[in-house]
Amino acid sequence: MGKNGFDLVKIDKTVIKETKYVASFVIIFSVLMQAVFLIIAKWNYTVLLGNLWGAAVAIGNFFAMGLFVQKAVMQNEQDARQTVKASQGLRFAAIFMLSVIGIIIFKQTPTRVAVLIPLIFPRFAVMLRPFIKK
Amino acid sequence: MEIAIGIILGCCALGAGAAMIAGIGPGIGEGNAVASACEAIGRQPECKGSVTTTMLMGCAIAETTGLYALVIAILLIFVAPNMLVNILLNAVK
Repeated sequence: MGKNGFDLVKIDKTVIKETKYVASFVIIFSVLMQAVFLIIAKWNYTVLLGNLWGAAVAIGNFFAMGLFVQKAVMQNEQDARQTVKASQGLRFAAIFMLSVIGIIIFKQTPTRVAVLIPLIFPRFAVMLRPFIKK
Repeated sequence: MEIAIGIILGCCALGAGAAMIAGIGPGIGEGNAVASACEAIGRQPECKGSVTTTMLMGCAIAETTGLYALVIAILLIFVAPNMLVNILLNAVK
């Protein structure tokens, strides 16, 4: 137990490494998305803010998933299964709420799209994984 | 006109609800993946790092299906109704 009664989790090196990898690709893809918005003449500073919001949610979701997976592998099979299922529900609810907050804050349609698209960037990062040397 | 707008809004809500059915699968898939990973780590504890890396990537891929559904549902709830109603109003004018 920590000083204030909280469990202090020691974050696994693998989780930090993979989160850095995913975060770097999310940033690269975000820059590409900004370029696309510039090309189609839909760019303004709110698109950038929306993109930052969505990217932060995507990276935070991956990091939270890593933490829950790290916790789950210390347990037995049944508990691990339950932990991950519960974490997935929690993370989905959190993503939904944060996305809706982003959409409520930003009223323009291109900005709303810019909030949502970064959520799927981690998938592209994982897809490119075999082509990147470790 | 009100009926048409009502149908559009209702269909958007139904579509969003139907899309979120896809959110059930990733939880089950990730649960199975992690359970198998626990078994693997139990058999070979020295492989913990590589198993965790592979599992994280697998979980990320499994979760994407749900995220696609979530993105579609949010678009259907918050973005599509305005666009569709505007298109309808412009067509009527």
